[in-house]
Amino acid sequence: MGRRTTASIWKTTGMYRYDEFDAAFVMGRTAQFADQVKRRISGELSEDQFRPLRLMNGLYLQLHAYMLRIAVPYGTLSSKQMRKLAHIARTYDRGYGHFTTRQNIQFNWPKLKDIPVILEELASVEMHAIQTSGNCIRNVTTDQFAGAAADEIIDPRPVAEIIRQWSSLHPEFSYLPRKFKIAITGSPNDRAAIRFHDIGLQAAVNASGETGWEVWVGGGLGRTPMIAKLINSFVPHEHLLAYLESIMRVYNRYGRRDNKYKARIKILVHEEGLESIKGQVEAEFAEVRGGVLTLPQEELDRITAYFAPPDFADRSDDKIDVAYESIIDPAFGRWLDNNLHPHRVSGYSSVTVSLKPVGGAPGDATDVQMDVVADLAEQFSYDELRVTHEQNLVLPHVAVRDLRAVYDVLVANGLAEGNNNLITDMICCPGLDFCALANARSIPIAQEISHKFASPERQKQIGDLKIKISGCINACGHHHVGHIGILGVEKKGGELYQITLGGDATEHASVGKIIGPGFEADQVPGAIEKLVDFYIAQRQGEGETFLEAYRRLGEAPFKEALYGTA
Amino acid sequence: MGLPKLAPAQAAHDKLKALGILALNGMFDEMDAVGVLRYAVSDVLPGDLAIVSSFGADSAVLLHMVAQVDPSMPVYFLETGKHFRETLDYVETLKRQFGLINVHAIHPNPNDVARFDPNGDLWETDPDSCCHIRKTEPLEPVTEQYGGWVTGRKRYQTVERGVLPHFELTSDDRIKVNPLAYFSDADVIEYRQKHNLPEHPLYAKGYKSIGCAPCTSIVAEGEDPRAGRWRGLNKKECGIHYDFSGAIANPMTAANRHTLWKDGAFIADPFRDWEEGTNPSEARYVHVPLPVFLANRAEFLANPHPLGLLVSPGEKIEDAEANLSRFASIAIRFPAFSDGRGYSTARLLAERYKFAGEVRAVGDVLQDQIPLMRRCGFNALVVVHEPTRQALIENRLPEVAVFYQPVGVTEIPLGTRPFLRRVS
Repeated sequence: MGRRTTASIWKTTGMYRYDEFDAAFVMGRTAQFADQVKRRISGELSEDQFRPLRLMNGLYLQLHAYMLRIAVPYGTLSSKQMRKLAHIARTYDRGYGHFTTRQNIQFNWPKLKDIPVILEELASVEMHAIQTSGNCIRNVTTDQFAGAAADEIIDPRPVAEIIRQWSSLHPEFSYLPRKFKIAITGSPNDRAAIRFHDIGLQAAVNASGETGWEVWVGGGLGRTPMIAKLINSFVPHEHLLAYLESIMRVYNRYGRRDNKYKARIKILVHEEGLESIKGQVEAEFAEVRGGVLTLPQEELDRITAYFAPPDFADRSDDKIDVAYESIIDPAFGRWLDNNLHPHRVSGYSSVTVSLKPVGGAPGDATDVQMDVVADLAEQFSYDELRVTHEQNLVLPHVAVRDLRAVYDVLVANGLAEGNNNLITDMICCPGLDFCALANARSIPIAQEISHKFASPERQKQIGDLKIKISGCINACGHHHVGHIGILGVEKKGGELYQITLGGDATEHASVGKIIGPGFEADQVPGAIEKLVDFYIAQRQGEGETFLEAYRRLGEAPFKEALYGTA
Repeated sequence: MGLPKLAPAQAAHDKLKALGILALNGMFDEMDAVGVLRYAVSDVLPGDLAIVSSFGADSAVLLHMVAQVDPSMPVYFLETGKHFRETLDYVETLKRQFGLINVHAIHPNPNDVARFDPNGDLWETDPDSCCHIRKTEPLEPVTEQYGGWVTGRKRYQTVERGVLPHFELTSDDRIKVNPLAYFSDADVIEYRQKHNLPEHPLYAKGYKSIGCAPCTSIVAEGEDPRAGRWRGLNKKECGIHYDFSGAIANPMTAANRHTLWKDGAFIADPFRDWEEGTNPSEARYVHVPLPVFLANRAEFLANPHPLGLLVSPGEKIEDAEANLSRFASIAIRFPAFSDGRGYSTARLLAERYKFAGEVRAVGDVLQDQIPLMRRCGFNALVVVHEPTRQALIENRLPEVAVFYQPVGVTEIPLGTRPFLRRVS
């Protein structure tokens, strides 16, 4: 076991904690960036030279102001860290932050002069903004229920942390052809959309019963959506970094750099073919395998120890009667129905805290809400919090007996929407209201849809339905993998919205298809309603979800329902 | 130095006027262009000197000198609206490569253009007026802001410029500094090659003096280089260069600048750039482009002289794997700092092929990437970017001193994490 040092200030287990080395690293990086900012202000660095440096420190120039994107490694936060984010929102921004589809948080209104102070504040709680942007390996994302889910083969967070370390300021891979995103899941039920990442890792068990990783490569959304392809069905833990480095090297050397829209690894895999890329990766792997990147079991054990489960009090006899609660308090009943996820320890549950109130901006949380959730985590969830790629928060370890208390606090703070996985639980990018790239607004569309389907009874009737909204072709709102996807485009100076059907981000991955001509903004909620009504009329009982019905019926009848002709 | 140092520009200017511009012109060696420029910037007109550049065929030389002396000197470019596309591209190339941070475009007054040149063909009927509204007029309010100007004019360019001195006093009491006054065509070419300056894209096509597109043509071998300007018209100057006076100075040694950084110092570079057409059997002290080497492998291997290899992005170092020990130096090209392919090439050389010679980074080599280059195995750098040169000399590279990855052959994992970490 490596030595624990004074830099560890956490009173609980369950997450990685910085030692002196990590602290020195983040401090060095913060100082380096402060120097770069100074040289930019003095004019020594041109904007062209500065841009990649600031991006690799999470600093974007947006439509109205700078935007700072802060890394939440694999979506895990402590209450102390969440309180720091609340403090930053309150002190340096306009009192709120926006949780993103990469499990990060971004602040839309910081002043450039405050950035170094914000980074220092973050460093004080072992956080940073490193590699949340730029053509480098980005924050590794994972299942929001990692370490808690009943269906998990292995907790992916220790390996995610090892990948985080390996990829941080990697000298060979800091100027890649394009950004590079890795997602990892320890569960066969993919909640991390790993097949839509540059590299997706899924826990696998081989014939000898050993746990390792399926490696998927070349997935992505954006203007050319691609489902990742399986490049290796079993890489053991000890060789995973060597295998990843082999993929990165092939991509760095041969990924296209002539056209930024064709520079992701998905295009390389698509153009050269999986077999060719696999051959190159395996040849590289043969050279580096067993070398300096071999992960010793002791190191894996040492990192894993940080993520040891909390010392759960025995609550195995506790039960909650959802049917009974629903009669007493229907809203609480709905929340119990939708916002709980099965926990591996009996008597506990993982709670999704919805950031999708009717009429709200999906993923936004105020400073007060962040503080409230931090308090709840400290009191009821062993100090742990998660950010989901669907832009909600999670209290991963709540005892069943505490659910009512947690719920009551959430209600008082506008966080108790019982809509997880329902039609109003939408993913939505910031869109033209904030983003310099967007062609169309997306938040107002989400707000209108949520008003249209605000009735809880209606949402329950519709059941699981994922709507995902992007304000431009870059697909930050994941519209390609929405059961219903909405894509804002610019047409003749106005905003128009295309609708796609049949996307799916899970292990049954599929890319949605554009169903027909686009709609004006005010027609979108009506169009969604037509599709939903048609589904309800056609489904084979309440058990058949929208996606299942679409897959059974095909595109044509939905198209007819929407446009009146086949 | 013969003159007392006077800080405020106005005082210096008055003093110079009193002393007479003649004395000033006696201070510098004919070819000491950088010395002239440095003295003008630091002693004659500190903070009060600017340059107008055409970004033409040989503008790079002077701008390169400006970047060495003061990359923040205001550089004005007359954006007449009639330039070759290549010239506009060249402006961006030079800005980026030299680190010039204060380049401004001056545009003609749109009212003047609308009134005097509504169809955009004034150059054809009355080129003097065209120059006037597009150059002389727009420049005037700018020149009024400065006590002096740097120009790139040279004696050899036209007969009229044959007596051009380093310093001139203009009729409106400003000082014009002409650091390149004594440079010949050959001097310019030599300087350009020595410092590997980017060439104007049209130079190779026969344009020796480049102005606005309609009034510039190709010059023949042996012709006055400016003969291609306003060809067929009795016109030699556009009106922005006028009256000069002065005398000629004594010869001294030329300024010298090394760009190869190795073992903690800028040192003389024994290697030169590869020139097309070089005989593979006779080449020496050049970095042979990898494709050229592969096409003439036998000749190069039989060649007894010291040679280097130049690897550009997209080329596979594996192709020369068997012959790497033939080369004293391998140069890895970074056409832009954002192109990271060279890092992989360097690691392969150091770690896989155990190449023990010089591995140098050439091209867009900037201070913020140098720490990464070193970790990947580079042990030499060719650096022209002035702030980066200063950072190297002052040993203040922006580096994060703790590493998460074992990379390269020199990084011996130490510290709390023997597997992944090293504290440098």
